[in-house]
Amino acid sequence: MRQLAYVFDLNKCIGCHTCTMACKQLWTNRGGREYMYWNNVETHPGKGYPKNWEKKGGGFKDGVLLTDGKIPPREDYGGTWEYNLEEVLLQGKGNQVVPHEKPTWGPNWDEDEGEGVFPNNHYFYVPRICNHCSNPACLAACPSKAIYKRPEDGLVVIDQERCRGYRYCVKACPYGKVYFNLQTQKSEKCIGCYPRVEKGTPPACVAQCVGKIRFVGYRDDKDGPIYKLVEQWKVALPLHAEYGTQPNVFYVPPMNTTPLVFEEDGRLGDKPRIPLADLEAMFGPDVKPALETLGREMQKRRQAQPSELTELLIGYTNKDRYRL
Amino acid sequence: MKTSNFIKQLAVFGTVAAMTGFSAITVQAAPAAKTIRVLTTTGVDATMPDAAIWKKAPATQVNLQPAFPGHGSIVGIPATTQLVAQAVRTGDRIFIKLVWSDSTVNTEIKDTAQFVDGAAVQFPVNGKATTISFMGDAQNPVNVWHWRADGRTENLMARGFGTAMAVPFEGLRSASVRTDSGWAVVLTRPLRVKKNEGASLQNRKTVPIAFAAWDGANQERDGLKAVTLEWWQLQF
Repeated sequence: MRQLAYVFDLNKCIGCHTCTMACKQLWTNRGGREYMYWNNVETHPGKGYPKNWEKKGGGFKDGVLLTDGKIPPREDYGGTWEYNLEEVLLQGKGNQVVPHEKPTWGPNWDEDEGEGVFPNNHYFYVPRICNHCSNPACLAACPSKAIYKRPEDGLVVIDQERCRGYRYCVKACPYGKVYFNLQTQKSEKCIGCYPRVEKGTPPACVAQCVGKIRFVGYRDDKDGPIYKLVEQWKVALPLHAEYGTQPNVFYVPPMNTTPLVFEEDGRLGDKPRIPLADLEAMFGPDVKPALETLGREMQKRRQAQPSELTELLIGYTNKDRYRL
Repeated sequence: MKTSNFIKQLAVFGTVAAMTGFSAITVQAAPAAKTIRVLTTTGVDATMPDAAIWKKAPATQVNLQPAFPGHGSIVGIPATTQLVAQAVRTGDRIFIKLVWSDSTVNTEIKDTAQFVDGAAVQFPVNGKATTISFMGDAQNPVNVWHWRADGRTENLMARGFGTAMAVPFEGLRSASVRTDSGWAVVLTRPLRVKKNEGASLQNRKTVPIAFAAWDGANQERDGLKAVTLEWWQLQF
């Protein structure tokens, strides 16, 4: 089976949510999917979307499917409030644009909060889609055999005809990336924009990315950016590999170099702004060598020496970033 | 544990089937005591659970056990331990009434982690008790009439665990009321159907039947359910 995979370079993500909007416009602004964000961008440290998904359970332990996962309640995904734009702006009624209900939580509620105290606070953005795992917990958990990996690209999809709405998949996905459609009473998820991929067009979230942080291609394509960044340079790492699902979205971890933390006397110290332990908790022990490689190659560049890795990560053209 | 007992039973069925043939199986799988007697009558409407005819139809207590989970993701113990079953035949229709205790009313899925109450009866499409009562198998499908407390009643066909598929059939209808302690539900369908619509019950003296109940408050759905592990007999 060929496996489509993605690399997201977190050093280039500006948190603009254009990816999220592209996905929403294409797939999730209707039909009971309004509350779903198949693609979302969350601030780390933060609670994420759905709220506290990193504590929801699911996945595998020692190869065994865990059954401790939670089905997040609807409120943990946040509201889908509407605004009285037409009334105020077109009909001239009232003078304040307000949501139809008081918002109490949303998919991006704690954006840019992060952790730490100024001037040593920190945060970074993590765009998330379905990981189209090689060992998907959602697939393993479905008694109805409604979930399958497409043989041509390894994308994980739910057969809406077979789905019985039991939600074992929602429980089992440790990333909180399977959603229950209350209108159709079936589960749904990111489909990797397979109708686009079949035509050689990158998924909408990838194509619309303003920061050009997203790379897409096949794992086994040795001339493609995925293989080079994941296997060759080892600077792109899976998120929470310990969940045991073998995710196929890989992240270039955020660099700590600028600026380092300030010492008490106001001088710049030498400690990384983002604690290494925080990054290791997300991306595993390979974060340190990955950051070292990135730092070394960036240094080369600063010294006007050539660096294949930085060229790769810049990804000048669509052809450089997409290999479908 | 019930699971291992159930597997043993299956093994026994298989062995007996190989040795002695079908008639011996019928006795094994459905002892005489496990019988629901059908009251045959004319000119009455048994559609509603509180219809007068149900006072006349024999009522049988059916004990339920946890279903064999069948899949690693199905965990938990179902809440329901028994139901009372009755059956009435009028003309070309059969009515089956199920009454069971369920103190919590779960009639809607308005939140992502909600499940609804339910009950079901199951028949082997080939009419034979040799059909595996655990959702049938590839060669011997079962027909399930699944009442859901959200108002949906589904006609399902299954060829083994995890294969239940809805086969829309308008002739299958249901009515339900809340009782003081739980649910009373009537499922009704014409006796005769085409083979692809379900199990035909026409011209039968007895038909194997199995029962199931789900308590939505206990997150019960799919294989997390209380069932009869063996076929009962519906006796016309």
